[in-house]
Formats: sequence, C-alpha cells, structure tokens
Amino acid sequence: MNDFSEIENELRALRPVRPSQKLYESVARQLDGPAEAGPVDNLIQPNRFRFGWLSLGLGLAAAAALLILARIDFPISPRHAPTIAMTPSAAPAGAFASAQFIPAGASRVVYHTQDEGLLFRGGSAAPVRRVRSRSRETLQWHNPGTGASLRVSYPSEEVQLVPVAGQ
Amino acid sequence: MKDRAEVMENVITHENWKTCFSELAPGLVLFARQWVRSGADAEDIVQEAFVRFWRQNRDVANRGLLYATVRSVALDLIRKDSRRARREAEAYSDTVQTIEPQFEDDDDSRRLLAGAINRLPHEQREVLVMKIWNDLTFAEIGEGLGISQNTAASRYRYALVALKKDLLPR
Repeated sequence: MNDFSEIENELRALRPVRPSQKLYESVARQLDGPAEAGPVDNLIQPNRFRFGWLSLGLGLAAAAALLILARIDFPISPRHAPTIAMTPSAAPAGAFASAQFIPAGASRVVYHTQDEGLLFRGGSAAPVRRVRSRSRETLQWHNPGTGASLRVSYPSEEVQLVPVAGQ
Repeated sequence: MKDRAEVMENVITHENWKTCFSELAPGLVLFARQWVRSGADAEDIVQEAFVRFWRQNRDVANRGLLYATVRSVALDLIRKDSRRARREAEAYSDTVQTIEPQFEDDDDSRRLLAGAINRLPHEQREVLVMKIWNDLTFAEIGEGLGISQNTAASRYRYALVALKKDLLPR
C-alpha cells in the first residue's frame, strides 16, 4: 500500500503555470526558421575554456620571484661574495647561482572536485560530463652548495570532459 | 481527461517538436524555475535548452538528457554573471521565497501546498518536480541529475514525508 497516494494526488492536482505564448513563438522561430550557419549549438560556451588568469598570473609571479631570488642569492652568499669582488670578469653570477638550484620535487594536491553536469559537445549527440577540479601545485628546488631551498606553490584549476556512455 | 501515460507515450514517439514541446513545456518551465526567480528567466532557459536538445536529438526519447540539458543551461546562465549568481544563490538559500507563483491554483489549500513545496530542500524539490509534473521515471531522474536511481527514489520519498509533515497542522 502506498502511504503517499493522497499527497501525490494533491500534488498532481496542482497545475504549473502555463508558459507564455512568447516562449512557443521563440522556439518556433528557432526550430522552424532557416537553419543557422555554423556548427550545431554547443552547451559549452567558448569563454568556459578560458584560462584561469588568476592562476596563470600567480604562476608567472612565482616564476619571476624565483628568478629574482636566484639572482640575488649569489651576491649575499658569504662564501662566494669575496670571489665575485675579486674576479669581476668571471661568468655571470646569476646564471651560475641559478644553475646550482636543482629540482627537488613537485606535488599536486587536488582539494576540490565538482561535477558540473552533462554537456553536449558540438556535432556530437553523445553527452560528456564536465568535472572541474581545483588543486595546489608545489615545485621545489634545492641548492646543494648553500643548502638553500626554494619552494613555489600556486593554485590551479582544471576542467575535464568525461565521456558518458549512452543508453 | 487524457491519460498521462498515453500523453507521455505520444510525446516519446512523436517527432514533431510542437507536440512534444506543448506537452513538456509547463513541466520544463517549472523545473527551470528552481534556479531562477522569474518565469521569464525560466522560459529563456527552457527555450535555449529545448532548441539545443532538439537540434541534436530530433526526438525526446531520452528525457533524462533533456532535463540534464535544462539543468546545464540554467547553471551556465547563473554562472555567467557573478552578481546574478550571487543574487540567485542568496534567493536560493532564503528558503526560496518565489516572487511569481509557480502554480495556477488560487485555492488556499493548494497555495499552502505550493508553499510547502518551496520550503523543500532543493535536491528533494527537483526530484519531486521531475517525478510529479514531468512524469519521469526514477531511472530518468537519476540520469538527468547524475545520481543513482535509488538516490532519486529516496529523495522523492523524503520530499513526500516532509510535505506531509509540513501540512499536518492544517
């Protein structure tokens, strides 16, 4: 026995507001009118694929900071500073110092994943599921000569389109 | 009175968009109203979604995908403008006090019922709308929302329990 039949009947008795005639006319204009040039509509807006400019900016800023640190690290090193003063014609100090930093590790931690629903890609009847994930990527360098280490961390965002099996 | 199953069967097999759309439009607009506060916005969503869906599929045999399209267009719309998204989200969390009525009925008891529906948690309300006013199966609801059939069924049951509880003191 269905305990909810009474409330279900009450609900079914509620009638949704009828859409306006304008809606029917608009749909008719688009479906019965001349076919539009170009590919079939795609749910994914072009600007949906824009880069994460904030992440890109932070990444570039981190890279700039890395270059600046690499250049100023050498002169303040107590072991090498006198050498520089005595041999000004030596190879560029910044290049030498930066060469001493070697990659020590890289990590990517995904801290948020969101399923944004099904989409239809242009020209395809098969849907894809859009999954957006946000993560933090960290790069590390180590200077074995001075023992100095450098770590750059920045946020990143990735959108994946996962094919969905049709039924 | 037309038998609902017969109507839906006709909708599924009929290839003329006008027949399909006239049968489905009220339920689709009601479904879209869950993300926007005005009927005009909901109609815009339905228009865009139905046109896109029809151009791709030429029929509505896979109704789960049609509702998934409406949902996707609605979410895209409110994401396009952050201020609008924020406004909608705030409206959303304020127990969704809709400005325009979603149902035609003027009767007091039915108005109470409509108010109780608006107070349902969103995930329960969308399943309820898809089931009651759009005649989707739980499998189709699951496909449209990206959840399992069992989850759709349990959300529906929770919605009915909540409505009964809400309307009990009447």
